[in-house]
Amino acid sequence: MNGTLVGKRLIGTQAPVTVGWENLPRVEGGPVKLFVFTWFQPAMLLGLIAFWFYAPNSIAKASTAIGIGIGFKALLLALEWVNPRFDSWRLTWKEAVTDLFYVGLGYTVLRLVDDYIGSDAVADYIQQGLHWDKLNWFMTLPLLLQAFIISFVFDFGQYWMHRGMHNWQPLWLTHAPHHYITQLNINKGAVGNPVELFLIGLGIGGFFDFLPRAALLAGTFGLAVGTYQHINVRFNSPRWWRFLFNTTEHHSVHHSQDYEASRSNYSGTWIIIDRLFGTCVDGEAELLGMEGGRPMSIRETMSYPFTEGWKSIRERFARPIAGEPVAVPAE
Amino acid sequence: MNLRFIDWIWHVRGSMALSPDLSRDDAFDRLDPVFRQSGTRRERRDDTLVFTKRDQEAQDKMSVFDSGVLRLEQGVAGIVLHYRLISRALLFCFLAPFLFLGIAQLTIAIGNHQKAAAEAAAKAGTAPKKKPEKAVFPLNPIDKALGAPEPEDPKKKKDEDKLPSPTPAYVFAGLFAALYVIGRVLEDRLVRSLFRKRLAGA
Repeated sequence: MNGTLVGKRLIGTQAPVTVGWENLPRVEGGPVKLFVFTWFQPAMLLGLIAFWFYAPNSIAKASTAIGIGIGFKALLLALEWVNPRFDSWRLTWKEAVTDLFYVGLGYTVLRLVDDYIGSDAVADYIQQGLHWDKLNWFMTLPLLLQAFIISFVFDFGQYWMHRGMHNWQPLWLTHAPHHYITQLNINKGAVGNPVELFLIGLGIGGFFDFLPRAALLAGTFGLAVGTYQHINVRFNSPRWWRFLFNTTEHHSVHHSQDYEASRSNYSGTWIIIDRLFGTCVDGEAELLGMEGGRPMSIRETMSYPFTEGWKSIRERFARPIAGEPVAVPAE
Repeated sequence: MNLRFIDWIWHVRGSMALSPDLSRDDAFDRLDPVFRQSGTRRERRDDTLVFTKRDQEAQDKMSVFDSGVLRLEQGVAGIVLHYRLISRALLFCFLAPFLFLGIAQLTIAIGNHQKAAAEAAAKAGTAPKKKPEKAVFPLNPIDKALGAPEPEDPKKKKDEDKLPSPTPAYVFAGLFAALYVIGRVLEDRLVRSLFRKRLAGA
């Protein structure tokens, strides 16, 4: 494969990746279908922002956000049936059960752990140590500006954590299992080793306690934009949307079997961060995963960072046994 | 213990009569493409086909099964295909509700422990200091003009009981129980329909 030159990088030499918006397929069908799959994303984002902006205090709560999140994902699951991006990404019963298992861990065990050593504990520590009056200026900003700043700053941190995971072996070992997914569906974002999910989740709770409405608005960007990273639906996203926001197209490139392509599109919500740092590749890939698309079992996903970490440590510190030939790098 | 009484949980059994004009070899030849998948090993011996799957692809139509036996036997009205397929995914889904019920119990136990520790600390007078009260901030004029509700006075807000809740674990236990029933019926039907279509030459 020749690949396509993007900046200084050749994308798609190991596995097919389509580069450039003009080369991607569009939604096909009647005017109603075209209208729905062009404007669904902006309309949902706008609708949810309006909801959280105007909702009375009795409704604007985290529990409502959880309910909306579940309902929204159920709607998107239905859309996967109506207008799939690729038939090779169809959700099967086994995939649905596997994905839901990781979602379940996130809602139960990880929350317990977070209470003690994760973002909730960090939030408590910050709240006790920080002088609140230093943040007063922030609290008086318009709500939507507060929400944008929270969302952008969190995504900026997540960008570097994610980029770090692709560049530093100990972090990569926690993230690698997530890259063994071979298709994108709504709950695939939860698939991975819990250590990674814990690391990615760090920092979310820090905001939640002191700016309820702004935090809920900020969470809306994650729900109504970030969720589309892992989804098997084809949208005709407007140009301004795909310039600003992460899309399925971007994230499919990130999950491509092509190594160079996988080192792009690190942000969760704001793809403009990738544009700023030169890691954005506009395009799409269908063949996803690692090792030529080998699926990873739940058991291996759970043990991978530890078994591979142990192997790496042993290789690094292993002493050559007397009499055993020592490997010498080729000239 | 005889596993036959419980192995229906992860074993799918079935049988179907073959068309009279179909020979045994023809039947296995027609079924062969189903087993020509990545990660699948198959072996044919006379009237029996045994297969195993490892790292099966998500879109493999039999990805839910890990091994199985298909046998052709002479029945009263002709040749009959009998199959027994084994699925670790079905077993996993069957056991998942118990795992989440266990997590719910663990959550309750941790909550009780936290409550007891807090009460003991309160009695001993070593309870952690209350968080500083948060100031009330007026809405930004822009938000006010747009009609956003005034923020709630944090002083009026009651201290929420922050004990961990077992509810999500119960919900997931229920979801997996429902998914097991769906999967046990659905995968049984899907594999039956797959074999029938292949044998009909579709």
